[in-house]
Amino acid sequence: MARMKFLCDAERCIECNACVTACKNENDVPWGVNRRRVVTINDGSPGERSMSVACMHCSDAPCAAVCPVDCFYFTDDGVVLHDKDICIGCGYCFYACPFGAPQFPQDGVFGQRGKMDKCTFCAGGPEADNSPEERTRYGSNRLAEGKLPLCAEMCATRSLLAGDGDTVSDIFRERVTWRGSAGMGWGWGVAYGKSGLRKGKGVDGRATGGD
Amino acid sequence: MFANLVDGIFWDVALWVFAIGVLWRILSIFRVRNKPDYSEPRGSGFAGAVGANLRRFIPRSEMITRTRLQVVAGYLFHLGLFALLLFAAPHVLFIEAQTGLGWMPMPYWAFIVAAQLSFIGLMLLWIHRVMHPVTRLISDADDHVAALLTFIVMLTGCMALIEQFDGLRVFHRFTVELLMVYFPFSRLMHAFMFIPSRAFTGAWFGRRGVKA
Amino acid sequence: MSSSKRSRIRHHRMVVFSLLSLLVLTLVLPLIPHAVAELGESTGRVANPGTELWRDVRQRDRSIVGATQVKGVDSGVLINVHGEDWRQFRMQQLIPYGAALMGIVLSVILLFYLVRGPLRMQGGASGKKIQRFNVFERTTHWFTVGIFWLLALTGLVLLYGRFVLIPLLGPDGFGLTASACKEAHNLFGPMFLVAILMLFVTFVKDNFYVRGDFTWLLKGGGLLGGGHVSAGRFNAGEKIWFWIAVSGGMVLCVTGLILDFAVLGQGREVMALSHVLHGIVALVVITVSFGHIYLGTAGVEGTLSSMTTGNVDEAWAKSHHDRWYAEVKAAAADADETEPGGVASPAGEG
Repeated sequence: MARMKFLCDAERCIECNACVTACKNENDVPWGVNRRRVVTINDGSPGERSMSVACMHCSDAPCAAVCPVDCFYFTDDGVVLHDKDICIGCGYCFYACPFGAPQFPQDGVFGQRGKMDKCTFCAGGPEADNSPEERTRYGSNRLAEGKLPLCAEMCATRSLLAGDGDTVSDIFRERVTWRGSAGMGWGWGVAYGKSGLRKGKGVDGRATGGD
Repeated sequence: MFANLVDGIFWDVALWVFAIGVLWRILSIFRVRNKPDYSEPRGSGFAGAVGANLRRFIPRSEMITRTRLQVVAGYLFHLGLFALLLFAAPHVLFIEAQTGLGWMPMPYWAFIVAAQLSFIGLMLLWIHRVMHPVTRLISDADDHVAALLTFIVMLTGCMALIEQFDGLRVFHRFTVELLMVYFPFSRLMHAFMFIPSRAFTGAWFGRRGVKA
Repeated sequence: MSSSKRSRIRHHRMVVFSLLSLLVLTLVLPLIPHAVAELGESTGRVANPGTELWRDVRQRDRSIVGATQVKGVDSGVLINVHGEDWRQFRMQQLIPYGAALMGIVLSVILLFYLVRGPLRMQGGASGKKIQRFNVFERTTHWFTVGIFWLLALTGLVLLYGRFVLIPLLGPDGFGLTASACKEAHNLFGPMFLVAILMLFVTFVKDNFYVRGDFTWLLKGGGLLGGGHVSAGRFNAGEKIWFWIAVSGGMVLCVTGLILDFAVLGQGREVMALSHVLHGIVALVVITVSFGHIYLGTAGVEGTLSSMTTGNVDEAWAKSHHDRWYAEVKAAAADADETEPGGVASPAGEG
């Protein structure tokens, strides 16, 4: 049985946010809710890396463990989904999630958060597949049509991979092998040699360098 | 099934019982005429009526220290209740849907604060009534049922706040209907009676030139 | 030796030499690139600069914060390292140990009642009453009790309901119940602050340490036998409960307000920490309250009336709070002396 996973290749991510935009558009996500985001570490410095983060559909999902009303369920593909009809908007899943995937539409006082919304791996919700109710409440259900999530499909550099965990790992492993040179096969050092730019940044003679 | 009853026939019955009951009781009070007063009027009855209504909002100076809790808690409860009933957003929308009359509701946080102050007032008042040996003796079932029913209405309302589960809203409306049916036959009629009551006392004594 | 024999021997030697050299070369030649690689590494080849960064992320010592186009609290945090700690604490420690604590204490209290029985007044009830708590004190106490139990029950539903109530109510029925409990809990929470402050102001003056408190504690308050122990208006046990309730209550209010008002920019770390404190203190205060309720009702005969009517039997006062009883009697005697005609008896309204 396929087990659905995301994998973001940080060596390829160019922080274009196409995945973010595609997700928001395809799922009609309300204002203020961000199912997917791109986080850039060491922004502006040599050694900058970006990674696209949304729900990672964990096998031992912490969100499902802490939910007081047990509103999470797992599909056969390993996709972690939840039932908005049972969700009480307490926010515990957000405290537990390492990736900050659960989002809440309201920002009110007295614990008023509204019902939790998160990345569904484009697999919709408990309503009937591709029904209008499912579309309004949970977004698109591409998985039921045999398609993969739109964020991965739209990725400009194919850094965001989504699909069966085994297949995704194979693709990534092949890339790493082909890259060789411990990631030194490309980058500033290779492209620009000993240019003044590189000298000035102190990464002369090295590729990307800087830790 | 229950929801349909509550939103349908129960509501109609409760509304009619409330409306007719209240009118009936008010009319029956006004139908009772007092004995004619043949003395020379020494003051204005009308001024006395209005004056008594306004003066009775604050206790007499002799009693003000002994009734501190009742006054504070009483105002907290009643002001909070009016704010809730008339200016809480779900209620404003409900009234607008029923009557077509709408107005600006208060913000959500004000709704909650009003509810909290109202609860504090109600709980303090009822607990004090039970704790004070005099009021404990003279309180009857009517007093306790009225307090309990009001508390339950407010509690079910607060439980239905996020408006997610229709069952909670239906339960709140059901308890409201119970309160409406109970209202005309109970002490809660003071809501309509306090003005005529104060007015009568004020007028009676005002005519004799006494500030009552 | 014939020339043909010499050539055959030479031929054999050539074959052996070829085979041997082939064997040696096969083994030695591949070592050359390895040697080159070894030498190459020592000339300062740089590791993939990403490894340092990803090691930091994987170590989970601290949350790595980056930049992001998405605006929100904590949205720049790549991995929230506190999430898993909090999940483990709530599910593996708070829930099971909390249940165990409450269960064990309840059982101990029950056992104590069955074995020791209620504490009785010396000489039995005399029938004469004196006032212990006035109307305002009693109103404040029961007001706090009402709010406390509303909060405690709704809170326990939020903590344990998933395990206890879903089998009874089903997932939709429990979702409705939990939603109702969450709303009630969040609304009554700030009211508890008012109640605790009222309680503090009303009862604090007699809850400070006085001489004799430590002795009372050492003797166990007479709970485990050894007869009654001298005490003032409040004994050491009651004072301890007062300070637990008030300080625990304040912690609950502060953490509760942080949790209730999630919009003030606090991140997940603050919220998780507040939740941890809130949960632990709540379960501790609930557990200690079991003891308080026991002693106030079945545990010590004649105590409940102090909080309902406000009056207690004089024998109860002499047995459990002798120094307070003496003070009250002395004050009544003074009042009788100075006001001819006598003031109303100490028992009654106030």
